[in-house]
Amino acid sequence: MIQSLLILSPILFSLLLLRINLIARNILSILFVVMLSSFSLFNFISLDSPVSILFPHYFHNIFILLDYLVLLFFLWSGVVKKHLLVTLLALLQIVLYSGILLLKPTLLSSDILVDNLSSIMYLIINIVGGIIIIYALEYIESEKLSRMKKNGFISLLFLFLGIMNFIVSSNNIEVFFLLFELTTLFSYLLIGYRKDELSIQNALQALWMNQLGGVAILIALFFSIMKYNTTYFDVLMANIDPTFLLPIVLLVIAAFVKGASIPFEKWLLGAMVAPTPVSAILHSATMVKIAPYLILKLSFVMSGFVSISITLIGTFVFFSASLLALSKDYFKEILGLSTIALLALMMALAAIGSEQAMNAALILMVFHAISKALLFLQVGILEKNFHLKYVSDIDGLINRSPLVTFFIIIGFASLTLPPFGAFVAKFMAIESIANEITKNPLYALVLVFIALGSVFLTLLYFKVLTKLFAKDVDYKQESLKISKYYTLPSFALLALLVIGIYVIFTMGLLSGAELIVPTVLVSLVPLLFATLTFKNAHRVKEYNCGEKEEIELAMFYFNISHRLQKLIYSVAIFGIIILLFGVLL
Amino acid sequence: MIEFFLIIFAPIIGGLIYGFERVLRARMQNRQGPPLLQPFYDMLKLIDKQAFILNPYHSILGIMHFFTLWVVVAFIILGENLLYAIFLHLLSSIFLILAGFSVKSIYSHIGANRELIAMIAYEPILIMLAVGFYMINGSFEIALIRENSSSIFSLILLFLAFLTLIPIKLKKSPFDATEAHQEIVGGVEVEFSGLFFEFIYMAKWLEYVFIYLLLMLFAGDSVLLGTVLFVGVFLLINLLDNSTARVRIDHLIKIVLSIGLSFGILNLIGLVYV
Repeated sequence: MIQSLLILSPILFSLLLLRINLIARNILSILFVVMLSSFSLFNFISLDSPVSILFPHYFHNIFILLDYLVLLFFLWSGVVKKHLLVTLLALLQIVLYSGILLLKPTLLSSDILVDNLSSIMYLIINIVGGIIIIYALEYIESEKLSRMKKNGFISLLFLFLGIMNFIVSSNNIEVFFLLFELTTLFSYLLIGYRKDELSIQNALQALWMNQLGGVAILIALFFSIMKYNTTYFDVLMANIDPTFLLPIVLLVIAAFVKGASIPFEKWLLGAMVAPTPVSAILHSATMVKIAPYLILKLSFVMSGFVSISITLIGTFVFFSASLLALSKDYFKEILGLSTIALLALMMALAAIGSEQAMNAALILMVFHAISKALLFLQVGILEKNFHLKYVSDIDGLINRSPLVTFFIIIGFASLTLPPFGAFVAKFMAIESIANEITKNPLYALVLVFIALGSVFLTLLYFKVLTKLFAKDVDYKQESLKISKYYTLPSFALLALLVIGIYVIFTMGLLSGAELIVPTVLVSLVPLLFATLTFKNAHRVKEYNCGEKEEIELAMFYFNISHRLQKLIYSVAIFGIIILLFGVLL
Repeated sequence: MIEFFLIIFAPIIGGLIYGFERVLRARMQNRQGPPLLQPFYDMLKLIDKQAFILNPYHSILGIMHFFTLWVVVAFIILGENLLYAIFLHLLSSIFLILAGFSVKSIYSHIGANRELIAMIAYEPILIMLAVGFYMINGSFEIALIRENSSSIFSLILLFLAFLTLIPIKLKKSPFDATEAHQEIVGGVEVEFSGLFFEFIYMAKWLEYVFIYLLLMLFAGDSVLLGTVLFVGVFLLINLLDNSTARVRIDHLIKIVLSIGLSFGILNLIGLVYV
């Protein structure tokens, strides 16, 4: 069974990695990533009907044991680090979980259910995640850590891929809860990997916020058992009573937490202290994708009220996170906020529930993963090779490394402009919302949020380029050499973006001309850059109105006032409260 | 066939509109003004100039801006997807902005930054406009919008919002802060010269064609209404240009966006209920 291989092999492989030397580790890891990617691709192509697997009974006992271990570890961390909130939430989770174990629901189903959605998630997790791990092989070598710890880092990442593969195949909410907690555990461990003051503090913050999500799942599980007598997603959704959607809404709130939607966005931004491959793999490419995945899974059973509420909250977060990002200077934070924004958009689209909107959410999910991974890899290169973290310091990068500049521009362009996948998703999103307005005028507001949010994001992405793209006429030095481990993964992601354009063409979402024309236009630019030099034209200096002063370029920022920030939080929290109470009444 | 010629001659049509505009503006100010074909004389003169460039990237991006804009206009003439054309237009603007960023010139940078900020003002309105047309015609296809009867009365508020963004795109007072020739010497254009400026110059003409083609969509299948709209808006924009002072860039955003969003949202909701 290819699905069980995808789940189990990374877990076994990660154990193997712990005690081998550098070269063997690198070669084996690359081969293994290629294998995982081919498995996920094979599964995607060959899957005709959903595959279901039933676990034997003793498996559940192992899961229960693991669950208690994880929860006790949280409790222990809370006590040792003297963090009251973590401790209390861990206790609450243990109590709730023990209570749930006493209940014996009778409606059973298969524990693993791999459908089309899971197959697409496999692709994202294994291909994009795998590429990031290859990059991490080089990255972690430049950290001051022991060999054991370096290998441990890589094997943690592989272990994480296995868990991600598991979580998107799980049909049992109990198992889903365990895996959800495991991803929380991993983010806690990986964020705190550097063990300094700030890392530990942010790791704890990530922990307690994600624990909230865990509590929400447990309560959802409780109501699901009480009302629907089941712990299985498919049974729950098949028997759903539209007047009692509380379990669904609680799961959605867990998704909001995992997707770092405002007001839960602090943990994802705090996670930026972690080594860059971690930010890339956990916090933009794979883990946070659990959020839109969950909503895509649940959106079939949402009532009109639940659906419009989630869409409004999501698009509001999309709009506000993009706005907040305009005031930031730290590169990772800019990327983080744009991830938060786009995740919220995916969730909003998924909740609409029409076929077109859900397809848009899926396409956005896939291409966001590729583009964000590409961008995060460049952030890592900037950090390691140029010692740059702040956008305002990246002055004239094009002189020193045209390649990295090129990847950054492609990364940003692929999130907004035609012909790239994310653009197609935006395009479909607007069309699907235009269809909804006639049914519910509130969607006009959704449209405004999307239109404003996407223009803010465009502004954000291209304002970041302000300084790094400014070519110095006099600059004569050679550009800096960058390790192949760093550039090859970026080229692989670029190839994925191009393949994506072809896939969209075969899906018939846009006409041939609509895809080919911008593709030609966009690819002409680097081609012309490389070939045209205008040898015959005279070179001149910039026009400066006769001033002799040295010019210093700067990027503009938007000052987001404290009041506005508070307002954004209040609206977001208010939205979630409305959603929760609305579904109770 | 006629479409083919329209596409080929689109820059020339834009140049003629621009030339006529200069004549009209001069008459409004009681002066003789240049001849109608002055823009083309300018072009001939520019070809003879020596080529001066700062760096190849800058020049290439300028040329790409022109070609992309030409493609956008071609898509609209061919009756393709409206929303798509708007996004492709975004790509062409981005090329220009990147060109502005690619040199270490202060005016070019200020201009590119303003160009980028001005996007906040007009892009959401263009999207809402497209959605408005979609709700009436059930499709973004421009060919279909042109076949159906005029929708100007159902989209009257969006039409007004659209009027406010025309001066931004055509660099007309009161919303010409992005170019602002007196303060930032033309913004993004400042570092282009000779042959390369020609592309930027022609791109400006294409911008005219783009805007007026969008305007014609309000007329639907009525040629008469299209002519009236064109002449009326043409006069109005130039009258405004002659009689108003430049607005600061932040005020520009506030004014256009607040009008655009409130009118747009009212119009879209109105389409559902009225």
